[in-house]
Amino acid sequence: MTVLAFTLILLAASYLAGLLGSLTGLGGGVVVIPVLTLAFGVDFHYAIGGALVASIATSSGSGSAYVKEGITNIRLGMFLEIATTIGAVAGAIVAVWLNNSVIAIIYGGVLILTAIMQQRKKSDHEGVVGSETAKRLKLFGEWPQKDGSFKTYELKNVGGGFSVMVIAGVLSGILGIGSGVLKVIAMDGLMKVPFKVSTTTSNFMMGVTACASAVVYLQRGNIVPGIACPVLIGVLFGALTGARLLKKLDVRVLRRIFSIAILLVALNMIYQGLTGGFE
Amino acid sequence: MKDIKQLIGNTLRIGVFTACFIALVGGIIYLWKHGADPMPDYSHFSYSDAHPEEYTTLGGIWAGILDMNAYSWIQAGVIALLLTPILRVTLSLFDFLRERDWLYAFITSVVLAIIISNSLSV
Repeated sequence: MTVLAFTLILLAASYLAGLLGSLTGLGGGVVVIPVLTLAFGVDFHYAIGGALVASIATSSGSGSAYVKEGITNIRLGMFLEIATTIGAVAGAIVAVWLNNSVIAIIYGGVLILTAIMQQRKKSDHEGVVGSETAKRLKLFGEWPQKDGSFKTYELKNVGGGFSVMVIAGVLSGILGIGSGVLKVIAMDGLMKVPFKVSTTTSNFMMGVTACASAVVYLQRGNIVPGIACPVLIGVLFGALTGARLLKKLDVRVLRRIFSIAILLVALNMIYQGLTGGFE
Repeated sequence: MKDIKQLIGNTLRIGVFTACFIALVGGIIYLWKHGADPMPDYSHFSYSDAHPEEYTTLGGIWAGILDMNAYSWIQAGVIALLLTPILRVTLSLFDFLRERDWLYAFITSVVLAIIISNSLSV
């Protein structure tokens, strides 16, 4: 295959990755990794570099659309970023010792968890009584309703959420993906943040978390220009299209199809990881 | 509060488009010079081998940009992309300082410090 063909195919795949990543809230990295490793036989350690670029492009690309609406809880995101950035730094250190098989199995595990969590009912968690710690940390917020008014919300279990976020950061440092699924478990499951708020806040955090490990990866040579260029441009435009579509589209059916797809990819990853298909 | 949100949104938008533009320049040079070459071998990565400075160090990237080196241009686009979330956190820091929210100014500084120290230490 020529450089031109590889670049154009990866550009098209990255556009789709950015589109799906922003519509499902999972980030572009989730699609970029299997495209690179399964379709092109790229080493996982290069694919991680591509996924980091994809994660930041999705986050900043769709973030520019979300912030204006005032849904993102910046305080909550910033507080939890202490956990994710520390985790990401640790993950980037650990990744050096992991071979392709181990990374594939970890990635497959995260995907299975993601597929399961995508089936969960999205809840606005009305009437939650917030905890004292959350109140002291000024984590309560308000979010705009369809009619233009604002609704306040409270949240709890700050310690539990923070701990899960450390793990989310470690996975992000190892895999380069936003590990949105753990962020949803922490914010939606434990802290009872309304769904829309947790999605946009998680998107905000994804870029910052990826940054914490990306510079290290760049210096180590994991981010190669031949992969980074089509991924950056493709994912960015895909994410921008996705953010625009998200306002008009009912994405429930899409999310269901996507869950089945990532489940199949996950099984393939784990199988090949166990049988040494990536070595 | 409205102004700073507008500013953050604009910063992200300008940042990502700048990154995209720089990477696109690199991509065009790359395809111009290497488009017909066979695809490079990405099937094995080694942490012990040295990787070309033209895309792994700031100095190497800067020198490459002046040489119109495709790899350096693309990587400069990647660095511009990396700067967008960092800029966003910095803007939030100023916002918290302006609101005299010392707790969150501190939390935001910690996040920035983790990112910056990790970037410089290697």
